[in-house]
Amino acid sequence: MNAAWSLLMALAWRNLWRNPRRAAITAIVVAAGLFSVLTLDAMMQAWAQSSRDATLELLTGSGQIHAQGWLDDPVLDHRMPAPSPELSATLNAAPIGGWASRVTVPAVIQSEYKTLPLSLMGVDPASEARISTIPDMVVEGSYLTGPDDGEIVLGRHLLERLRTQLGRRVIVMAQAADGTLAQRGFVVAGVFAGNTAIEDGYAFTGQRTVQQMLGIGSDISEIAFRVPDNGQLGAAVTSLKAAAPELDVKPWTALSPMAAAMDSAMGSYVWIWLGIVFVLMAIGIVNTQLMAVFERVREFGLLMALGMKPRLILALVCVESALLVGLGVAVGFVASAALTWGLSGGVDLGGLAQGAEYFGGSRMLYPHFDMALSLREAALIWALGVLVALWPAARAARANPVEAMSHET
Amino acid sequence: MPETVLPDRLRRALLMLPLAVVLGAGPVLAAPDATALLRAAFNNWRATSSATTMTMTIHRPDWERHSTMQSWTQGTDKALVRFTDPPGDAGNATLKIGNDTWVFNPKLNQVIKLPASMLAQSWMGSDFSYDDLAKSDDVLTLYTHRIIGTGQSGGHTVYTVEAVPKPGAPVVWGKLTAQVRDDGVFLGETYFDQGMQPVRTMTVDRLSQMGGRIYPAVLTMRPVSPAGQWTRVETTQASFDISLPAYTFTRSNLQNPRN
Repeated sequence: MNAAWSLLMALAWRNLWRNPRRAAITAIVVAAGLFSVLTLDAMMQAWAQSSRDATLELLTGSGQIHAQGWLDDPVLDHRMPAPSPELSATLNAAPIGGWASRVTVPAVIQSEYKTLPLSLMGVDPASEARISTIPDMVVEGSYLTGPDDGEIVLGRHLLERLRTQLGRRVIVMAQAADGTLAQRGFVVAGVFAGNTAIEDGYAFTGQRTVQQMLGIGSDISEIAFRVPDNGQLGAAVTSLKAAAPELDVKPWTALSPMAAAMDSAMGSYVWIWLGIVFVLMAIGIVNTQLMAVFERVREFGLLMALGMKPRLILALVCVESALLVGLGVAVGFVASAALTWGLSGGVDLGGLAQGAEYFGGSRMLYPHFDMALSLREAALIWALGVLVALWPAARAARANPVEAMSHET
Repeated sequence: MPETVLPDRLRRALLMLPLAVVLGAGPVLAAPDATALLRAAFNNWRATSSATTMTMTIHRPDWERHSTMQSWTQGTDKALVRFTDPPGDAGNATLKIGNDTWVFNPKLNQVIKLPASMLAQSWMGSDFSYDDLAKSDDVLTLYTHRIIGTGQSGGHTVYTVEAVPKPGAPVVWGKLTAQVRDDGVFLGETYFDQGMQPVRTMTVDRLSQMGGRIYPAVLTMRPVSPAGQWTRVETTQASFDISLPAYTFTRSNLQNPRN
């Protein structure tokens, strides 16, 4: 058996290069196909992660805690008390990496020229910085200094729409706890730049300022927390639910179903692309191998006449295909890995950044070569490549020695 | 109190007259109190209560529309305005009590409570806001006042009063300037943004003797931008300091007028 195997290998390797140009073209087709699958996969994953991180790190966090009913109707009536000692203890323990309490109310902001709706968010800047990137996104002025800060941080686009500027006063109106209208003048302390939806949708000020304005004591409307290891999120949510059974603890997948859907859709796209690429590759492989088999009818007839079993002829052609496809797979794999590693420092989307921002992605993508997944995809392509080569191989094995020997070529 | 302010001011002016003659220095109401001056103008304009008939002209570069309305006010926090013409608008009414504003639309047969956020918005498509309509006295309570200029007009001294928002006041304007005559007649007002650029100007185009006082009968509001548009309100009939029935400023009267 071993002797037959080494004979097959030797024959197959030699046959492979009988027509080097044809072999090279087929190998390149396979290499290019696999390269596109693997590279696209890495980019898609990077994109999914970037859009997920951008969404989550902006405001959402890995999950949030609200009073029951707040998510359906985010008004002041659905507020909750400051976290109990038990809840605080859970929030401060691993795997939670940071948390922040917030007071968020639907509000109206008014300048000399314009009145616009938004969400007024009262934050504690110190804890906010641990879970949100917005404090780092201030492009003009500065972020808030503390929970008592009575100034306001607005989005850049909102500032333009209000036709106001840094240092000017805007009025924010919201319904207070007793149902009356609370309004307060705020000086614009800082301007942040993010995506337009966030820039237009939120204004930030000190948490205690908002609590006083609304007359809600130390009550809050949400707690956002961050779990650095996404795999631990389920456990964190469970322990938080145990610590605060009366509250509504939700992971980001429930809070941002869009981001979650994008995340899982990205994984599916790559398999669809793999299917398309494979069909194209299969046409190339079958074509090459059929050609090769037709050219060698006499050879196969001779081998059979010399006593080679049809089974071995089949094996020979299959080994040839395996070598050919394997060569292409190896080249494509190495090329894709090299490119992905080369780009792992970050890809600047440049001109596409605005579109990316629209979908909640960030301007930089950080592709990561997922070895296990890539090996799986490469193995699949290889196996399928060999599988389609069974057809030409079967034709070769069916050759009749007498007819074959008298064949023209 | 509002009724006595004006006579007080007049009495003071009369008492000063001989002194002015002696000094030969024309009007010597040299440094009247800016706040008192504004308050006098405000009281003259608004009185303790009023019932007026007005016509409104909304002018835009390519169209103009006219409407007629009746309005009632009481104190500083109650106002009711009801359109009587054109027929399409007749019955539309706005009621303001304190911070609450309701509008009634006869076509919908609905009373809608306006969120306070909308009070700064245009009222019935004009250049006035709901706040202007109610002759809100914010300018008295939320601003500090000083006189920045004096001039002469028709034998009266006209003071220009600058009103700057008090620190922390929920006011968007950078400042206001108002022209008030020495006898407490309001002559105009300009709103400035916080860059101290004028945003809109209200002028008094005609004063008339009306309801026993000199009243700014024609008011025009002009936004600086877009240019070429303005809204003019002309008061055709007015009576002041009358007693209004208690039902005037109610939602039922807003919806089903009894007068």
